[in-house]
Amino acid sequence: MANSLGGLPRGRNPERCGSIVLHAPSEQNAGRLRDIVSLARSHGPVVGAVLALALAVPARGEAPFTAAQRGYWAFQGVARPEAPVAWGERWARNPVDGFVLRGLRANGLRPSREAGRTALIRRASLDLIGLLPSPEEVRKYLADESDQAYERVVERLLASPHYGERWGRHWLDLARYAESSGFETDVTRPNAWRYRDYVVSAFNADKPYDRFVQEQIAGDEIWPDSAEATVATGFNRHYAEEGNQKDLLLARQEMLHDITSVVGSTFLGLTYGCAQCHDHKFDPITQKDYYRLQAFFANVNHDDRIPIVPRAALREYERRLAIWEEKTAPIWAEMSDLLMPLRQYSPQQLLARYPDYVITAVTKPASDRTPIEAWMENLLAIKDCNTCALRPPPYLDRRFRSVVGKLTGERKERFDELDRQLAQLAHLRPPEIQRASGMLDVSGSAPVTRILSNGQYTSPQESVQPGFLSILDPGPASIDEPTHLRSTGRRTALAKWLSTPENPLAARVMANRVWQHHFGRGIVATPSDFGMMGERPTHPELLDWLADEFVTSGWSVKRLHRLIMLSSTYRQTAGLETALGGGTDTGSRRAARLDPSNRLLWKFPRRRLEAEVLRDSALWAAGLLNTRVGGPSVFAPLPSGMPAPTGGWKVSERPFEHRRRSIYLFAKRNSPYPLLAAFDLPDTHESCAARDRTITAPQALSLLNGEEAAQWARAFAGRILGIAGEDRDEQVGAAYQLAYSREPTAVERESAAAFLDRHRRIIAAQVEAGASTFVPERVPSGVSQEAAAALVDFSQMLLNSNEFAYAF
Amino acid sequence: MALATQARKPSGGPTGSPRREFLARSGSGLGSLALAHLLAGAGILRRASGAASGPLDPREPHHAPRAKSVIWLFMEGGPSHLDLFDPKPALERLAGQVTPESFKLPVTSATGSHRMPIVASMRDWKRHGQSGLWVSDWYPQIAGHVDKMAVVRSCWADGVNHVGANRQMNSGSILAGRPSMGAWTTYGLGSSNQNLPAFVVLSDSKAVKGGPTNWGSGFLPATYQGTHLRQEGPPILNLRPPQHMSEEQQRSRLDYLKVLNRHHAGRFPDDDELEARIESYELAFRMQSAAPEAVDLGQESAATKRLYGMDDEDARRFGTNCLLARRLVERGVRFVEVYCGSGGGWDSHANLERNHSKMCRVSDTPISGLLIDLESRGLLEETLVVWGGEFGRTPFSDGGPGSIAPDVYGRDHNPWGFTIWLAGAGIAGGQVVGSTDEIGFRASERPCHVHDIHATILHLLGLNHLDLTYLHNGRAERPTINGGEVIGDLLA
Repeated sequence: MANSLGGLPRGRNPERCGSIVLHAPSEQNAGRLRDIVSLARSHGPVVGAVLALALAVPARGEAPFTAAQRGYWAFQGVARPEAPVAWGERWARNPVDGFVLRGLRANGLRPSREAGRTALIRRASLDLIGLLPSPEEVRKYLADESDQAYERVVERLLASPHYGERWGRHWLDLARYAESSGFETDVTRPNAWRYRDYVVSAFNADKPYDRFVQEQIAGDEIWPDSAEATVATGFNRHYAEEGNQKDLLLARQEMLHDITSVVGSTFLGLTYGCAQCHDHKFDPITQKDYYRLQAFFANVNHDDRIPIVPRAALREYERRLAIWEEKTAPIWAEMSDLLMPLRQYSPQQLLARYPDYVITAVTKPASDRTPIEAWMENLLAIKDCNTCALRPPPYLDRRFRSVVGKLTGERKERFDELDRQLAQLAHLRPPEIQRASGMLDVSGSAPVTRILSNGQYTSPQESVQPGFLSILDPGPASIDEPTHLRSTGRRTALAKWLSTPENPLAARVMANRVWQHHFGRGIVATPSDFGMMGERPTHPELLDWLADEFVTSGWSVKRLHRLIMLSSTYRQTAGLETALGGGTDTGSRRAARLDPSNRLLWKFPRRRLEAEVLRDSALWAAGLLNTRVGGPSVFAPLPSGMPAPTGGWKVSERPFEHRRRSIYLFAKRNSPYPLLAAFDLPDTHESCAARDRTITAPQALSLLNGEEAAQWARAFAGRILGIAGEDRDEQVGAAYQLAYSREPTAVERESAAAFLDRHRRIIAAQVEAGASTFVPERVPSGVSQEAAAALVDFSQMLLNSNEFAYAF
Repeated sequence: MALATQARKPSGGPTGSPRREFLARSGSGLGSLALAHLLAGAGILRRASGAASGPLDPREPHHAPRAKSVIWLFMEGGPSHLDLFDPKPALERLAGQVTPESFKLPVTSATGSHRMPIVASMRDWKRHGQSGLWVSDWYPQIAGHVDKMAVVRSCWADGVNHVGANRQMNSGSILAGRPSMGAWTTYGLGSSNQNLPAFVVLSDSKAVKGGPTNWGSGFLPATYQGTHLRQEGPPILNLRPPQHMSEEQQRSRLDYLKVLNRHHAGRFPDDDELEARIESYELAFRMQSAAPEAVDLGQESAATKRLYGMDDEDARRFGTNCLLARRLVERGVRFVEVYCGSGGGWDSHANLERNHSKMCRVSDTPISGLLIDLESRGLLEETLVVWGGEFGRTPFSDGGPGSIAPDVYGRDHNPWGFTIWLAGAGIAGGQVVGSTDEIGFRASERPCHVHDIHATILHLLGLNHLDLTYLHNGRAERPTINGGEVIGDLLA
């Protein structure tokens, strides 16, 4: 929570949070009570009470940790528990069920019966690829009488290229992925999408999770020749950034705080961020540990133009570029002479606006710079072309031509002539190569990392070396400096530790995330907080068993999907009415009473579709979805009347592009796509471990009245007419197949017919009064305009309905 | 230990109903009377044994409120306190000089202008009202209301740039991700008009810097985010059914949707989330007529419109928004934020004279009209009006060639000391609270941080900022983060 910019009056706020030093309970009870009261004031009453009742955190700097902390479950090594098999053998299909059944039995509950096949294929499709099954896929599955029918569905879905789009999206939430900087300018980061594609492909390829982690933390160091591994370092690039920040050390500190907190929560499931200003109040994460983690990143900076072509291609590019640069150099120099006097501020004047420490750092000879000064020079070179001593070439300087319009007379003519000369040499310029955004070390020697009082860079305390969580490994990390790279090797050491089976959190945290997205909540319901303030696991042994399977299978995420999805636990019905074993209503009502939030999994949890799944499935049902995988993001039209977002939103030219899957809609940090935002798309300023699922009137309005939803309905109705023609009963059947994956019942057919009749009359009366109708592009000759218009409304209500909007 | 386990139920988990989840997070779902007793006085916990309630149902405040609604007049870009409410004769003495070291200059100001010469105010200053408060000639009509206003001259904030400062003024933090005050208010009190959004934002045509995060719900459920009323067309996104759709047709669609949903609910009896979703469509339908009525200025007399300056080309837009604000609070909207100069209209790094002359013309009559109108309708007693920007401006010029000439000088951002004022419900008017240093650069006497302003506003609404908490990432988060003290001097 760094919430200050340099040089401001401060003192009161951080102190209230930071002044509380807690002592072991045996002594100083009075002081402790006072602390707790104080803590309750600063952090809320619940926190204070929990602390009072349950915790004893040693005072700052007092090692070792308490026995309770050392014995805390999440810090114990993963030991593979024996899977229970004795009970319910008939119901249990695999060890997952044994663990779940044990929990149910211990509480006098039973599992629910298996869901029907239609429900299963729909559930599995929405879950794994985020799209509905086609009627053809449903028919095939229903007709498959083999024992392996369901397994085949799961395998087909796991092999689909759309699997990565669905599961990659979960990871992007953690990575606070966006394609613009946020803050005032919200400028586009043009290569950010490559990271998105990297994540999608990694899931599709079932990239071993340990490698996935290593690439994102230190891909550039460990696999310097791999374009993919370089793109992966984009994980740490997705912090929001104030481009106008002149206090460069503050900019650096904000970046480091963001990275430290996100790495800690994503890979370790620990709220490291809470230890920025003081020792963690509840978990054994010391403030020193926070800065030990930060120290791994002490020398990183972003680079949004990393070449990712093979070495030979890069050398060739550079060779040709050098030739072109040499030939054009006199032209650029003369252009610069013409333009510079017209600038409002000279580079010297612009540089003068930076704090003294920056000016000192960037104006001294490179060889005299300390590592932190070298870091500042690096940032300035990126962010402010005009002020940098190592000014980049004019053709990369966005502002180089900004004053061309002010040229007049001879000078203008001369400039135009120079421009023509440039054009004549254009054939010598090599075509631009592919580039990525990532995080690289600035050099081989990192600035010193210090503990910062209240997280302020202006209040440095003792220095620290890179290190892991002290309670697990108190010494400094062992770091090998790479021999062939200008990099510190620090991140390599961290990457290895974050992905070793010996790390008690690595496998548990990821296995839990996979479980979470299948069942709507994790075995640990706070997936990025395995600490004291997080939830305890509902099935601790199951979590360990899954974590162990995960590691022994070579960190295969798809292995976890198979274990989970093929279990009887996953295959249970979501309805309330049908508990297993003749209990029927009484059984499930009892379960609903005893375990209303279904923590023990006595049924499959019903969930509202996530924003992207809702939009993609509606597009799919309507036959509009463009299923192309990967590539630069697209800009769909924004609702009319919405002000243009800062930094621009140039609608993609071809409408076909507007109908790509939602993961390909441009992720603008300050202006999320409105339809998705209405359905709880997370704010990309923070890592999001579990999305909200709200129900609001604006959601209803967007699906009832929005332009996008109207287009879905129109195309959907057109598709129905194409399949079913003028026969109304056929139309209703086709619509149900597409939207619900099932045939309507007789009652449903009747109510649909009644609606279509009534609605057709309403519309006919309006048409008579001169109103227009909203009908599909092609209406068969036997279908009246009002009947077609009624079908559009019918289609739209199916897409609005709960049966469509929920996975169950 | 058992108690602790129950209390540690923050996330609720996404499988629970939103209501249950909401209650669990807010603390009212702790489910332990003993714990609730232990924590008595923790506001929301009082309802621990009460029936489950929807997230927007009206909720009891922590203490008797003085204000039912807030109208926050947000002068975006940063108005110069030195030229409006905080006269500094010393500036005339020091004009043209570089700011003396004794004034503790910052590491850097927003544009690095801190090495630039001081500029004196060019305004004419007068005392006004019985209280004799100073207001410059830029605000002649607002000056007529000083006896209702409490002017806080010692505000300070943390953000030197617009986006961070806007965010902090709205959410307490310069970083995004925290709920805005309107969201906290709605979370704490619910809505008193279920057919309108409880938290409404009005702006000019340009986007507010930082965008919707300024009225976002942060980590609170999205239900609490502000609704940005649109200037053109229907006031709420997607409010109006498509052109071809009659009300009868829409009603017929909704009736069929209900049939579909009831049929589905048969397979999931007692599922309050599905019920809630059915209800959300009915609310949407009611909003379709309630919202256009609320913003229909056709019901206002020409005299009223004149009062708000709507006959003046410059003031029309902001005047319209001020009038809309009154109509909204009249209808029970809890929190209305009205941006004046959205996109940074008051930002004047150069040409401050020209800029502020215009912005004051834009805002003087509408604000004065709003105060008169609220008072005459008896609404001022229950409506808190807040005026201020995200920061003030520096005593020194903002540089550039010839930067201190009267027709070109500008001032840089100043979060270290600036002015806001409050009027209406529960405010002791006609007084100045706190002061800045001799040159108006830093808050000196009785400094009031943004958190203190927030604590005070919540206090007037009947909420204790320390007890208004929401469990997020293991921490019981509150609106004022780690700070905040109610500014007692302001209260009547």
